[in-house]
Amino acid sequence: MTTESIALPGRGEGIVRTRGFGAASGRVVVWIVLAVFGILSIVPMIWLILAPSKTGQQLNDNPPFSFGSFEQYGVTWNNLLSQNDGVILKWMANSVTYTASIVVISCVTAVLAGYALAATTLPFKRVLLIITLIAMIIPPVALVVPLFVEISAIGLYDNPASVILTSSFYPFGVFLAYIYFSTSIPTEIYEAAKVDGAGEFTTFFRIALPLSKGLFGMLAFFSFSAAWVNYFLPYVLLQSQENFNLSVGLGFLFTSSPALNPLNGAQQSLIGRPEIALASLFLAIPILIVFIASSRLLVRGVLAGAVKS
Amino acid sequence: MARSRSSRRSLVAGSIMFAPYLILLVLFGILPIIQATVTSIGPSIVNPAGGLQNFADVVADVRFLPALMNVVVFLLMYVPAMIIVVSLMSLLLDTVQGRWNLPLRLTYIVPASMTGATAVLIWYFMLEPSLSPYRDALHALGITQGNQIWRQGGLAWIFVAMAFFVGAGNWIVVQYGSLQSISEDVIEAARIDGANAWQIGWRIKLPLIRKYLVYMGILVFAAGLQVFVEPQLISGSVYTGIAKDWSLNQLSYDLAFQSNNLAGSAALSLMLLVVCIVAAIVVIFRTDFFEGTGVGKK
Repeated sequence: MTTESIALPGRGEGIVRTRGFGAASGRVVVWIVLAVFGILSIVPMIWLILAPSKTGQQLNDNPPFSFGSFEQYGVTWNNLLSQNDGVILKWMANSVTYTASIVVISCVTAVLAGYALAATTLPFKRVLLIITLIAMIIPPVALVVPLFVEISAIGLYDNPASVILTSSFYPFGVFLAYIYFSTSIPTEIYEAAKVDGAGEFTTFFRIALPLSKGLFGMLAFFSFSAAWVNYFLPYVLLQSQENFNLSVGLGFLFTSSPALNPLNGAQQSLIGRPEIALASLFLAIPILIVFIASSRLLVRGVLAGAVKS
Repeated sequence: MARSRSSRRSLVAGSIMFAPYLILLVLFGILPIIQATVTSIGPSIVNPAGGLQNFADVVADVRFLPALMNVVVFLLMYVPAMIIVVSLMSLLLDTVQGRWNLPLRLTYIVPASMTGATAVLIWYFMLEPSLSPYRDALHALGITQGNQIWRQGGLAWIFVAMAFFVGAGNWIVVQYGSLQSISEDVIEAARIDGANAWQIGWRIKLPLIRKYLVYMGILVFAAGLQVFVEPQLISGSVYTGIAKDWSLNQLSYDLAFQSNNLAGSAALSLMLLVVCIVAAIVVIFRTDFFEGTGVGKK
């Protein structure tokens, strides 16, 4: 109240001064920058959506944003299917299975561990938390060669389980869950339940879990976005074409077909640039849908929400 | 007595809940490092005696220094570009509340869906002067042939552009979220004191989200140090061999899968890993990012 009464005269002056020509042109510049960045962001996606509607020849000769025909999407798709008896379908199915397994295992283990760190008398809490933080900051790529060495030693090389299990290790999820259970839910609630004689498991399943839908959404979002596009790890851990996920499969099409380099692969291959673009689209669209559907989750401030004490 | 029994029950329950994650942590977080350490000092194809000589051999490899220089140049462009552009764009985005805010944010995260091979495909088309939608701009820059862009020695900025394009939008949205955590009162108070929009952004908002930007900078650095997919795919498709062993991770990969020198590969991986662990420890203990999360000693 008091600030308002003091503020008004000063603010009025400020408005007069800043809403002059300088401020107005400032707004225009801000809008231009924001809009240009937005356009640059979606240009490639528009190109990618249009590319499979054209033949390889049209893709080279016609303007970048021209549309071919709807029928051509079907032709392009059939060309993709011709690759190794429709192995693309297997890659898609693999991507779905691997990603679903990774999301389930990583989220369940992360929520349980986060709760244990936040609300139970777990021993060595601080050490476990620090190890988890270190693991969370190290990019997963850093462990690829060491993981390959280990996976080969235990005989899981070229086994889908190797990708699913290694990718389910989710320290970032544990950290998010830990912060959530120790800050977003008042500890008094757990205390009250325990005073009433509820054990840890009862408290977790009856009290903490029903309150964590938002947490699950956030964990699943990050786990999905990492797992769906995962390239390096499955590229190293898998060998047989039928075990590839879509992103490794796409990389394989890339390097084995003459689409981008005529020196590569069989000249008679039906896999050209439109086919590669279509496969890229199958990889990009699910992640785009999930991003857009989760945009409300992201607004609240992933980092700020996570570390605000 | 009752208390100690309930705390023991809590300990047992907590341990059971933590166990599944702990198994994954040990199996896929700690064991691979131990295994790689053992491998790195074992006998190798170039050094049957094994030992720390493997590390020296990797560093002395003719491909090591150029790859290191490539990655250093890459990081010198990539990390500052990310921090500057992401800070600026999230601040600008924060000044336009209202109906256009959400659509803008949605367009910014579109490129994050085009990673790996998709990104390589797109950049090939965006940069190929005869095919690109930016043809006129490229011609204006005097670029009329693809090989003016795709040439050895000039690749770092292309990989920076690719990595930047995939990562920046998501981070802008995340840091925009960080800006939403700033109390309205603080901004209002500054406005009352006569600060203009520029001053509020630069002097008030930026310092308040500084720790999130530092955290981002370190994650971006750690990820950039490991750059692999872009040069590997370019080298395997568009221009064969143009970026062979361009980055340290590619060298590590080639040592393992081409040169049959797993010990050298493990040694190089460990060196990169140590840099990342040091970066992690710096964030945890030398910045205020994890303040109040129970990491610091009471």
